[in-house]
Amino acid sequence: MSEAKIASGLSRRMFMTASVSAVAAMPLVNSSKSADQPTSAKPAGPRDLSAVSMRINKQPYNLALDNRTSLLDALRDHVGLTGTKKGCDHGQCGACTVLVDGKRVLSCLSFAIMNQGREITTVEGLVSTDGELHPVQQAFVDHDAFQCGYCTPGQIMSAIGCINEGHAGSEDDIREYMSGNLCRCAAYPNIVAAIVQARDEIRRA
Amino acid sequence: MNQAAPAPKDNQGDPVVRIDARLKVTGQASYPADITTANVAYGALVTSSIARGKVSKLQMDDAKAVPGVLEIVTHGDMDNTHKPKFGNTGASSIGPLHDKTIFYDGQIVALVVAETFEAAEEAATLIHADYEDEPPSATFESKGVKVEPAAGKSPMLKEDAKAGDFDAAWAEAAVKIDEKYSTPTQHHNPIELFSTTAIWQGDQLTIHEPSQNVTGWKVELARQLKLDPANVRIISPYIGGAFGSKGPMTARTAIVAIAARRIGRPVRCVVSRIQAFGTQTYRAETRHRIRIGAGKDGRITAFGHEGWEVTSRPDPYVVGGTSATARMYNYGSVLTHVSLVHADRNTPGYMRSPPETPYVYALENAMDEMAVALGMDPVEFRRINEPEKEPIEGKPFSSRSLIKCYDQASEAFGWSRRDPKVGSMRDGDWLVGMGCATAIYPTAVAPCAARVRLTADGAVRVQCGSHEIGTGVRTIAAQMAAERLGVGIEKISVEMGDSTLPPAPVSGGSISTASVCSAVMKACDAVRDKLFAAAAGNDGPLASSANAKLDMADGKVVAETGKSAKLADVFKAMRVGAIEEYAEFAPKGSSPEALSKLYAGQPEFHGGEGDKDSVKYAFGAEFVEVRINRYTREVRVPRIVGAFAAGRIMNTRTARSQLMGGMIWGIGQALHEATEIDRRHARYVNRDLQDYLVPVNADIKQVDVILVPEVDHEVNPAGVKGLGELGNVGTAAAVASAVYHATGKRIRDLPIRIDDLID
Repeated sequence: MSEAKIASGLSRRMFMTASVSAVAAMPLVNSSKSADQPTSAKPAGPRDLSAVSMRINKQPYNLALDNRTSLLDALRDHVGLTGTKKGCDHGQCGACTVLVDGKRVLSCLSFAIMNQGREITTVEGLVSTDGELHPVQQAFVDHDAFQCGYCTPGQIMSAIGCINEGHAGSEDDIREYMSGNLCRCAAYPNIVAAIVQARDEIRRA
Repeated sequence: MNQAAPAPKDNQGDPVVRIDARLKVTGQASYPADITTANVAYGALVTSSIARGKVSKLQMDDAKAVPGVLEIVTHGDMDNTHKPKFGNTGASSIGPLHDKTIFYDGQIVALVVAETFEAAEEAATLIHADYEDEPPSATFESKGVKVEPAAGKSPMLKEDAKAGDFDAAWAEAAVKIDEKYSTPTQHHNPIELFSTTAIWQGDQLTIHEPSQNVTGWKVELARQLKLDPANVRIISPYIGGAFGSKGPMTARTAIVAIAARRIGRPVRCVVSRIQAFGTQTYRAETRHRIRIGAGKDGRITAFGHEGWEVTSRPDPYVVGGTSATARMYNYGSVLTHVSLVHADRNTPGYMRSPPETPYVYALENAMDEMAVALGMDPVEFRRINEPEKEPIEGKPFSSRSLIKCYDQASEAFGWSRRDPKVGSMRDGDWLVGMGCATAIYPTAVAPCAARVRLTADGAVRVQCGSHEIGTGVRTIAAQMAAERLGVGIEKISVEMGDSTLPPAPVSGGSISTASVCSAVMKACDAVRDKLFAAAAGNDGPLASSANAKLDMADGKVVAETGKSAKLADVFKAMRVGAIEEYAEFAPKGSSPEALSKLYAGQPEFHGGEGDKDSVKYAFGAEFVEVRINRYTREVRVPRIVGAFAAGRIMNTRTARSQLMGGMIWGIGQALHEATEIDRRHARYVNRDLQDYLVPVNADIKQVDVILVPEVDHEVNPAGVKGLGELGNVGTAAAVASAVYHATGKRIRDLPIRIDDLID
């Protein structure tokens, strides 16, 4: 269970080499002095990879990724978890919402390499080992809280975040704190009803 | 149970949970861009930054130098293909890489393919085009637009509807209004991004792309690429919202296919949200002049509806909603005319209730104005003008439950508590307004094929090349099979969204439930016939029972006498393990070649205004309460009630959800949605989900849907009227009438924004 997965065709040995430069590069990503960083004449390309380790749905992953790869694209294109959806790539629709260390995050606005050592939870990580749906998932089924289903993984992850934050106290609160997740099929009243049901169930548990 | 699952009334099916619900809440439903493809390369589009002119040179050296770039497809590379065609399967006749002419802003000028998404995007930004540009004509009143009559330019509008002597009736009318209305450009913006993944195996091409029309696309793509249609496969198992945007195929599909062929690898191109605004279709901007004349008793004697619609330079996309508005009420005399305005824009296309949304908005806003002019209650005004027959050709309605809808919705809404005086209802700092409007949508049906297989264990597999765009059509097909074959819904699996399946028509025009259910029913009935013949045959387990008196229930063949035989025993008697039937359904009035046209991707639509015996529509009535802050003038919609009658309802859960979503779309059209255009450059300005406003959760409160029982055996064998597009027709007019009631301001140009309401 705990064996590390290597994606992107990197061997463990290559990862060890790459991880050294990743550690060196990491602080620069978040640094306000990034302008001081020496710039290369050669444009960044697929050969400029950085290593990043994170846990995704309780499994460790060591990845070698383009520095520009978003957490969303890492999940979809490099790990093969396509449950998380791309709806705008600009943080405007919420379809890519995942939990990072338990908090809801727009994975399209987060570079994968910024998530070193973090615990990521996607919609694929919610079902219990015996196949039982998470209370939010079950509530979405019960209340027909989707039509096409495309925004649904993001809605569900966001709903879990919303409940955990304590922002699901009233229906008005739920509407407000779920307004970062667009549903073009407009299942909004059903989404609110589902979150009320799941909130109560989670509180009882 | 809960509000999402209304108890079925007469002629309504159970609120069965969607059969794909678990897949959708666990992230296992595979949308086309989710399909794992080995060795895939990534495509990024480069689009034009001018709206009219020519590309004189494309500078690509910097792009080619980006590590990982594999190929750039541009002008000349599509020379061995046929240009796209405009029509039901093709979004536009413009072949963006077939010549260097630019017809609109955001037109494809190149496709970059690279090892990674990041490299493709980077290289795409490094391509620079030199243009010979000309000043573009953006929209209505822009210099250089070409205006022409729409009638006869498209099958959408064969002729302008008219009846009686409008001019005489208009001249004599005691009370009249003559007003202008407009609706803006709108983009579908399904949350799923548009994408194409092209995979070649020898001369076999597989396309994974969200599509509402896999059969039509197979045929059209094969034509463009000069392939045998048998070698082209379109796969689209789940679609992340469509609303018409994934009905016609765009030029991108063939371009991505050519790129994949050139590099000998699969290519996936996911189009950015910004580029989708230019490379996909949209709802045409419309303008209207409406004249209504009536006697003092409120009876309409003259109805005039003129429309103007923006389209592209080469393609006559016609909205043409006068076909429905001309038949809505008992007018006396009717005069309509529709004009096309050709501008330097991409070709518009179908967007949820394409003709009715803008045209019925104008009509219903005018009806409310006329009720005010007559000093009459707007519901009463519609009641007085309820027709016996439609006024253009005098045909009866196959069924029309509009007044029942008004009665039930107005009671649930509490319309009687409305004080008709403008500005009379207040709640603290909020001005309260109440309004209503009629919803109408033509009931059409098209030929459809389906295959049904029943095995001895009672498992059923339904195959039909229709499309699950969120309507619940998989679930409904399963319900139909479960009902006809007497097994539980958990025994049914449904395959859709693949051009290798039995062909179904485009999932548009609210035809899918009627068409698919009619075909599935026919296939199931053929399975029943075989089982019954065997069960009642000499060696059958129900040998003495008359064949015609058999039915299926609880996994058994049941005789009228109460005697029954397990499916397994009937299969034993037949000495088979599976019964499989392929059925082709063609609606009443179909031409002899209707079914072969279905296979060719050109299904005939029947119903609506086109049938000889009657006109066929679904109706609804919507009531809206608005609250407008007396200081900030923000508009809120705390509640909306809609009552709808649409023949047999297959599943009250999915029906309610679609109608609810439709009404929320209507609220969006009233208050939020508009694609703004920079008139100097004919360029869309708000090309993302931050600036293109759609309703969010906090915009919506109480939405009540009433499903009014209705029986209509004329429309199709399943007795089903479509309702996916009914819910958002009329809504914007109901909001506009509520805004008038609250403020005394009549807003005729959508959307209604705060600045319209500031004194």
